[in-house]
Amino acid sequence: MGKVFVFDVSKCSGCRNCQIACKDEHVDNDWSPYAKPQPDTGQFWNRIEEKVRGQVPKVKVAYTLHMCQHCDDAPCMKAAPEAVYKREDGLVIIDPDKAKGCEKLANACPYGAIFWNEELELPQKCTGCAHLIDAGQIPHCVDVCAHGAIRFGDEEEFAEEIAQAQALVPERADLDRPRVYYLNMPKRFLAGIVIDPEEDEVIIGAKVTAQNIGTGEVLVTQTDEFGDFWFHQVSAAQWRVYVEADGYMTRVFEESTTEEDRNTGPLELYRNAL
Amino acid sequence: MEQDVTGTPIVKGLGFDSFGLGSNACTVDVDRENDKIIRIRPLHFDEHQTPEELNAWKIEARGKTFEPGFKTLISPLSLCYKKRVYSKNRIPYPLKRVDWDPDGERNPQNRGTSKYERISWDEATDIIAAEIKRVQETYGPASILLELDGHGETKMVHAPHGCQSRMFDLIGSYTLQTRQPDSWEGWYWGAKHIWGMDPLGQNAFQNNVIKDISENGDAVLFWGADPETTPLGWGGMMASRICFWFTEIGVKQVHIAPDVNYTNAVHADKWIPVLPNTDAALQLAIAYTWIKEGTYDQEYLDTHAVGFENFKYYVMGGEDGVPKTPKWAEAICGVPSYTIKAFARYWAQHAVSIAHCNGGSYIRSCFAHEPARLEVALLGMQGLGKPGANQFKFMEWTLYGIPTVTPLPPSVEIPDPSPAYRGWYRSFPDSFIPKTMIPEAIMDPPIQWYGHLSAGMPRPDQFNGPFTFPLEGNERLHMIWSDSPCWETCWNGGNAMQDALRDPSIEFVIIQHPWLENDCYFADIILPTNTKFETEDIGTDNDNGQWTLIYYEQQAIQPRMESMSDMEAVGEVAKKLEKYGGIYENLYERYMGGKTCEEYIQAGFENTGAAQKMDFEEFKEKQYYAFPTKEDWQDMPAGLIGFYEDPEANPLSTPSGKLEYYSTALAQNFPDDKERGPIPHWIDQGAGHEERQYLERGRKYPFLLVSNHPRWRVHANLDDVTWFREMEEYVKVTGPDGYKYEPVWVHPKDAGKLGLESGDIVRIYNERGSVMGGVRVTERIMPGAISQDHGARVDGVVLGTGGLDRGGANNLIAPTATTSRHAAGEVTSGFLVNIEKVDVFALAERYPEAFGRPYDPDCGLIASSRLVGEE
Repeated sequence: MGKVFVFDVSKCSGCRNCQIACKDEHVDNDWSPYAKPQPDTGQFWNRIEEKVRGQVPKVKVAYTLHMCQHCDDAPCMKAAPEAVYKREDGLVIIDPDKAKGCEKLANACPYGAIFWNEELELPQKCTGCAHLIDAGQIPHCVDVCAHGAIRFGDEEEFAEEIAQAQALVPERADLDRPRVYYLNMPKRFLAGIVIDPEEDEVIIGAKVTAQNIGTGEVLVTQTDEFGDFWFHQVSAAQWRVYVEADGYMTRVFEESTTEEDRNTGPLELYRNAL
Repeated sequence: MEQDVTGTPIVKGLGFDSFGLGSNACTVDVDRENDKIIRIRPLHFDEHQTPEELNAWKIEARGKTFEPGFKTLISPLSLCYKKRVYSKNRIPYPLKRVDWDPDGERNPQNRGTSKYERISWDEATDIIAAEIKRVQETYGPASILLELDGHGETKMVHAPHGCQSRMFDLIGSYTLQTRQPDSWEGWYWGAKHIWGMDPLGQNAFQNNVIKDISENGDAVLFWGADPETTPLGWGGMMASRICFWFTEIGVKQVHIAPDVNYTNAVHADKWIPVLPNTDAALQLAIAYTWIKEGTYDQEYLDTHAVGFENFKYYVMGGEDGVPKTPKWAEAICGVPSYTIKAFARYWAQHAVSIAHCNGGSYIRSCFAHEPARLEVALLGMQGLGKPGANQFKFMEWTLYGIPTVTPLPPSVEIPDPSPAYRGWYRSFPDSFIPKTMIPEAIMDPPIQWYGHLSAGMPRPDQFNGPFTFPLEGNERLHMIWSDSPCWETCWNGGNAMQDALRDPSIEFVIIQHPWLENDCYFADIILPTNTKFETEDIGTDNDNGQWTLIYYEQQAIQPRMESMSDMEAVGEVAKKLEKYGGIYENLYERYMGGKTCEEYIQAGFENTGAAQKMDFEEFKEKQYYAFPTKEDWQDMPAGLIGFYEDPEANPLSTPSGKLEYYSTALAQNFPDDKERGPIPHWIDQGAGHEERQYLERGRKYPFLLVSNHPRWRVHANLDDVTWFREMEEYVKVTGPDGYKYEPVWVHPKDAGKLGLESGDIVRIYNERGSVMGGVRVTERIMPGAISQDHGARVDGVVLGTGGLDRGGANNLIAPTATTSRHAAGEVTSGFLVNIEKVDVFALAERYPEAFGRPYDPDCGLIASSRLVGEE
């Protein structure tokens, strides 16, 4: 039966339990025949990458898990079929006996999940803790997650979520058929605050319309009790933003989320005296 | 040979509570055959107990359910612990400073720079015993200072702190370094005077607050609180789970702080950036808005408060001619006045609670009593105690064994195995010195202060005094014995402490510790103690928020190198003192108290309710017992609802039993105190502090430093963990010289003005000295403030006042003056600094010795760099 990992960005608090548990499990422990010990530093079989999004005072941090994707059409298997094999449960294993000296494997993974161990002359990576799976347990990184942000189990069990999921690198999904599924991957946000500078007040309930200049897609929201508006999970795009409130002159401006998330800062509306 | 996958599971509590308190229970798989730790993982409550036996709780609200889960919620600070046990920074054997000769030149001026040579336990303990006898006879027992507080490992029999005090209690007395309420400064010194709340000044009635907020709350204000960071070493990740739960049920999370801390980063619905230690101005402007718009609960105040009219008079400008308007506050705190007004209105219209985690600029800066009091003043104006409106904490859920400080469903018992505890047992000698004033006490006695400054004393103790050191007829300090050698990097004005430790009056410094770091470099003799993996013990985990727990800790591995436990190390000195007879006669046996280690463990076990459930043998076999959830916990009154509904029947512990917007006790006891008057105020300066950007000193040092509890350490612990340090972008910043510097967050606007880029190495400085750091340009800090976590290991380049530290231990340059005149708390965050880029190669040329010390970037500072013949 095929096993999969599911990682949910919205449940990750960035604590690094998974990353440190991987070190705890594999540094100075020899899990042959699946893996030789990982060096103390420099290899990240499990790594949480963090990205700071937005600008003061609208700032968030997104955490994303990077690990072996245990692909069904694994580029590493193609690169060294003699040294890399797939278990029946789907886990991809670099055989430490057969892979000795095979440095090219370290560059074969498009996800950067294979590391070269200089001392042992071995390419190394996540084994899905196959030694623990064989003992009826779960991968150490999964066991220590307080939020169920990383889960591991039968493909069937996760069918519904897999249908909602995306791949770490979407454009490679069909090519590699990875077995690590990602939920709620961050897109962009577009946010700001609407104020009346003459009254020195925020404007609550202002209508904010964002039009994707490229696609014509239109999003609408209202400012909240702090005068803030938020468009979450929008595309990386050029936007035309309309801000309207009763009794005020409408403002129109352009913003870009092409490069990064965007806090527009204070948008000033003036009383309509016309 | 193939390795045993599962190994032998044992239990270890990996918290840092010390003083016999416990937390962070983990299962540790050990390989007995190879004397090796395989892995650290969560402990499963349901291994020996069913959910029914545990009376598993759940909170149901808004169609959702929150449950505790059946394994402990451990953190990376536990998972990394192998690296601590096997650190290159472990002290391998007893050490003597090479140029310290007890029979000749002692060279106190060289402490901090001299190297160490290997000596035997026999030799070391001979010297220590002789010095104790000499100092006691020459100067009297009170000239020996014991430093025995701090956050060592959670151990009972092999207690990390205070074993030496057990011995000194048997041979006369000593001078105690009393640890002020460092985690709770503002609440302790301020909030107590408006709402009582002994022992800490934070809400002492938190039962069922999470349930109450889940059912009735609209929003929680995280006022400087970081539940993703601060509770990790003293509880685990339940706090983080509560934040996710609030999001799930739609409780708005508002963060008020200068930085995007690790909780704000993932959980916040709204961030209000406020400049460090200017919260009091923001709070006063909120009060102003409510008064101006009539949106506070006057009826509640009529029956629940005294002195509100005095407060109102001050807020509206009657007292000083300055109305505390949002515009007035904006100029001070950096929050736009329109946001202050919107925030005030939101609060007035919703059920709002405030959450805390201790530490940071909000509560550890000068005059911290003011924001802490003002926070309670605001809660009171909106009907404190009404459904959904309380104050609660994300940690310390059974502190001092108090059953009413957990906001989650409590267990039937807070197990107390104290008969097993061999550390400091709160003996309080007549001679004592507040920890915040040690440098002054050493270099410039006599000194005076108010209160015993032992965290947990009741409110009126703040009026006791003045106390004096030295006591009449006593000598000043001449010897120090520390088992908590992180004063420099954890307390106020550490550079002054470096001067004090090198003062000629100090003839002998002995330190016992597992790692060669911080104050250890100032010792004359160092005893290598060990970690809890190397000893057998008993422990509790009472702060996980799931179920309280008592566990038996098997020894995991043999003691490393020549280490002994703290209890054993002191015992070796006791044995050596016996030869002097008299008061030292039979000292070892008296010190050990007539029991073996195993007998102490058994006595601890038998002091708890677990002994009614199983005998000691069964306990040792099962290794843990979890106490079930209290029956009918749902019926316990939530938070301060009792006070809210009937303040006469449920009074506060203030003199009037009510909220005291005017503190009569402060007015009577300290009538001339300008910084902590009867009514909470905005304080510009005073009591030795000029820490405002808009004052003269702010031109020279224009940035306010945020120094939070560290994300990747527990205070000074864990700075050597290679698995954290290798996270280059987040944990350390590698300089062009290959040294890993402590990160400094700088906003892009400030970085632009200063010409700084990510990766630049800088010094942060003021007139007290400089500490170095590596720049991270980031939107996670507001303009005008910079942030560097506290607790990096000191790596002194130039020691003492005006010195230079490479490690980034910013407490070294924190103010030496205490919170305010009558409040001897620490000021270690929210103080003025400047920042500038440095050329590390030029510094290396100028200071070849310090920059040339052997160094391992993975581990950072390493023990061998200070040992003769090991470089």
